[in-house]
Amino acid sequence: MDKMTTLYKVIENKTITWFEDTNKYLVLENTTADIIKRLNKGVCVKEIAKSLSKKLNIPEGKSIDFILNLEKDILKPKTSKPIDIINDYRDIKRPNKYEFIKFYKVNDIVFKACFLSEKELSLVHPKFAHLSIKNVKHFDNELEVFIDHNYIFLYVNNTLIDSWSSQNMHYFQGKFSMMLIQKIHQKEEEKWMGIFHASAVSNQKKSILFLGDSGNGKSTSLALLQSSGLICLADDFVPIDSENQEVYSFPAAISIKKNSLEALLPIYPELETSAEYHFKRLNKIVRYLEPNNTEFFSHLPCNDLVFIKYEKDSELIFKQISKIDAFQQLVPDSWLSPIKENAQTFLDWFSQLNCYQLQYSKNEEMIDTVQKLF
Amino acid sequence: MKNTSNRENINRKEAIKKIGNYSKYAALTALGTYMILNPQKTQAASPESPGTGF
Repeated sequence: MDKMTTLYKVIENKTITWFEDTNKYLVLENTTADIIKRLNKGVCVKEIAKSLSKKLNIPEGKSIDFILNLEKDILKPKTSKPIDIINDYRDIKRPNKYEFIKFYKVNDIVFKACFLSEKELSLVHPKFAHLSIKNVKHFDNELEVFIDHNYIFLYVNNTLIDSWSSQNMHYFQGKFSMMLIQKIHQKEEEKWMGIFHASAVSNQKKSILFLGDSGNGKSTSLALLQSSGLICLADDFVPIDSENQEVYSFPAAISIKKNSLEALLPIYPELETSAEYHFKRLNKIVRYLEPNNTEFFSHLPCNDLVFIKYEKDSELIFKQISKIDAFQQLVPDSWLSPIKENAQTFLDWFSQLNCYQLQYSKNEEMIDTVQKLF
Repeated sequence: MKNTSNRENINRKEAIKKIGNYSKYAALTALGTYMILNPQKTQAASPESPGTGF
């Protein structure tokens, strides 16, 4: 059997195992991970079975069956790989003219973004509208966005990045954000450990990540926290560098849902009008709140993950939670670099984090709790 | 509803004794129980921001 590249990290009483071929993480019992490790090293099944039988006081035949099953389920690669449709985009022509051209300035870097129509504009611009500057001649990067044959295309500096179907719009938006991050921080994709679907808050010395399912109030909490003097480092899209494991700033605005308007309007009256973005032809209104961060090159260490939830009438619940539970929630929602060194960095970084659960109904209690964590 | 089952309360020690020889297989089952976590294949924004589909 071919040796598979794997990484192991003991966290609490489990072993998290990473597989390079699929970039997947398995949470295993320590003994099971040990069996996988030995199988992968080429130790024969009989020898492993012998020690397992001794340990559990079971017949060797049972151990052999168990180990062979593990090998089949975990180590043998599945053969049925979905076939990727290869498209060379030879028939795709970049538009000669774009209806909307916007210029965004992030610190001293200028991006020119071209959108074929209001449709393409509506998918990107509201998040970055606060970075708009008037038309300029000189820019550092050019991004072009257009829909053709039901696919949305992204070109960056005259190079096709990819195309996505309408069902995969959040991947297009993710890639657009990724391209901005790479250009702002001058780091290519392989330099990043991961992108986390979270909100990042800082006190200018360190940062805390807030996670939680959509609708749990991550962005609302972030808006409340930035009104209390903390800095919004990134919302929805949080990049962490592999070299120093620091959270990097991302300049997108904070998306505000309709049901959190009531809580936020007293603090941010501008949400009533100026933060609204109308797409008349699309009959759509979205609201975005400007982040209070002004230094978009900033990056800070992060030692705390908080799973946050707003729950009407709830008492304040704040407690440390199991890292294994946190890991289960974090991984499926994140992009994690498939590069071995970055996966190792991620496991090492995660193992030294503090993970908390915070449930609240009173804003002041939540803000107090977070302030104390800094 | 009347409970007709013949319930017998036993403590942990007695329960282990009752399982007897089978408990070691429970340990084996536990070793074969694991969780697979797949990260996102590519960077993604929140599905709802600022609107999906076209």
